[in-house]
Amino acid sequence: MRTGHPNGTAAAPSPGERPRCRAAPHPAVISPQDPTLLIGSSLTATCTVSADLRLRAQDLYWTLNGRRLPAASYTTLGPTTLSVALARLNGSRQQSGDNLVCHSRDGGILAGSCLYVGLPPEKPVNISCWSKNMKDLTCTWAPGTEGETFLHTNYTLKYKLRWYGRDNTCQEYHTAGPYSCHIPKDLALFTPYEIWVEASNRLGVAVSDVVMLDILDVVTTDPPSDVHVSRVGDLEDQLSVRWSSPPALKDFLFQAKYQIQYRVEDSSEWKVVDDVGNQTSCRLAGLRPGTVYFVQVRCNPFGIYGSKKAGIWSDWSNPTAASTPRSERTAGGCDPKGGEQNTTLRRELKQFFGWVKKHSYGCSNLSIKLYDQWRVWLQKSHKTRNQVGTIWAPSGGKGGWEGGSQPQKEGSRGCPPTCA
Amino acid sequence: MLNVAGEPPGDSWGIFAFLCAALCNLPTVPALNGTEELGAGQSIQKTYDLTRYLEHQLRTLAGTYLNYLGPPFNEPDFNPPRLARAERLPSATVDLDLWRGLTDNARLAANYRAYSRLLKYLRGLDSQVGTVELRHRLGHFCSSLQGLVLSIAGVMSSLGYPLPAGPAGPPPSSGTPAAPNDFLKKMDDFWLLKELQTWLWRSAKDFNRLKKKVPPAVVTLRIEARGF
Repeated sequence: MRTGHPNGTAAAPSPGERPRCRAAPHPAVISPQDPTLLIGSSLTATCTVSADLRLRAQDLYWTLNGRRLPAASYTTLGPTTLSVALARLNGSRQQSGDNLVCHSRDGGILAGSCLYVGLPPEKPVNISCWSKNMKDLTCTWAPGTEGETFLHTNYTLKYKLRWYGRDNTCQEYHTAGPYSCHIPKDLALFTPYEIWVEASNRLGVAVSDVVMLDILDVVTTDPPSDVHVSRVGDLEDQLSVRWSSPPALKDFLFQAKYQIQYRVEDSSEWKVVDDVGNQTSCRLAGLRPGTVYFVQVRCNPFGIYGSKKAGIWSDWSNPTAASTPRSERTAGGCDPKGGEQNTTLRRELKQFFGWVKKHSYGCSNLSIKLYDQWRVWLQKSHKTRNQVGTIWAPSGGKGGWEGGSQPQKEGSRGCPPTCA
Repeated sequence: MLNVAGEPPGDSWGIFAFLCAALCNLPTVPALNGTEELGAGQSIQKTYDLTRYLEHQLRTLAGTYLNYLGPPFNEPDFNPPRLARAERLPSATVDLDLWRGLTDNARLAANYRAYSRLLKYLRGLDSQVGTVELRHRLGHFCSSLQGLVLSIAGVMSSLGYPLPAGPAGPPPSSGTPAAPNDFLKKMDDFWLLKELQTWLWRSAKDFNRLKKKVPPAVVTLRIEARGF
């Protein structure tokens, strides 16, 4: 790739330097150069070769996006000029333009022209905006149906206060997706804004309908902070959720509305509590005992400055986890997962140990108690991340299964060592 | 090392004793000329690693960019003429004997100058180019390339070489004319990517060569301090 075969004279290399071959500055000229065209239109392009290249029209050929164009579409217009006719052009393959290239017979590139074939833009639609804590405004929109598929389209969001003259232009784009803009400051309250989006490409301009909105009607806020979920005494089907109203809006007169959603640990289905009103605590009832729940809360700054309209819901708070107390009626609580398989295994092991005791001499310490202790040790060691591999090392001496004494100190989280 | 509750730590001490013995029996490390060369060895390694990382990043960036330019630019056998315009770019191509004979200072300076200029060209690329994704990739690559330039400067100063006074030649945006048409601009972009690729290939070899000439850093042993 480094040694090309251009048509030109080679400059004399200085000592030690790699010889460089140079092509003539402009081997050929294409006309039109970089035109813009509507889909379906036709085009005749010409390639005129520089006289000092000693090439003739019949030594040339054309490619479009790397594909050779049929010779039937060529016409010789002069000794050094070859033209090509392109009919009913499709939209450009890439937004940087179709590559129409004039080649010499050996494949070398003499000149190129970028064709921009497309449609004028459509009116942008679905303008929707929100303000975070009345401090800024972010708007999103959607392109019209044809979109910017063939030609690069520039979008400009503009806004002005109603009854005031000056148009302003939004500067920070792509903050919330490709069709979005963020206005960070100098926003006025109590007077509505007129907002619209202009789309422009090489073929024209299109302006969306004007949207009128009042900042106070599109306010959203941060999620509630300090979400705490705790048990309600020993009640096994209830959890109490507490939170604080978002700090940013605490100085403004508003009634917040809240929503809670919760789900069981291993499910993806959220249950929503909708009628929380504007209190900052709630008791969830009808829950499953002994289950871990994830809880989230979000806020709607309803009624800002006496507005009767709802605001926009905030994001959900980070999930907070809590578990309901275990019901005492459930037996065999030591084995939370795969309970049935473990009780069968345990029974079999009990029988095995009983047999070994009867028929062995050295393993006098075998008992089902040891098995239970070993299971507890297993659970504990799964929790410590430092384990590279667990080896149950039999200690030296007589018995085979000396586990040592492991008094269970903190029994609150783990299972008690001896299970019924 | 096991960390089972109740197990005596006897085995851990045994291993520690063995490691101490091993350390004491190490062959003598070649004498270093002070802390500067120790730092240089590590800087050279870091710079080498950075060129490999950039090479990897460039592959993705170039793929996306050339697809944006469209065929024939993204075809593997694309073989355009190297027009006079492309001569403005710092060329990595060099005679083998000349390359072998470069002093450390000259070698580093050539890399420093080349990447400083290439970075300026990259930054001068049309900010409206391509998709948002392409612009992000380009931005990210420029940051990494800036890191490489700084890393090379670090190596030069740790070896006591002066930095080349400013990037050679006038800044691309002011001195040289913009491409006269869109197709030639595409060719410029192609050659910029090509030259970046060639330079990164060459730099890996440059820094490999430098690694061998600067004394290696002290061999460091890390003892996992678990259960001691």
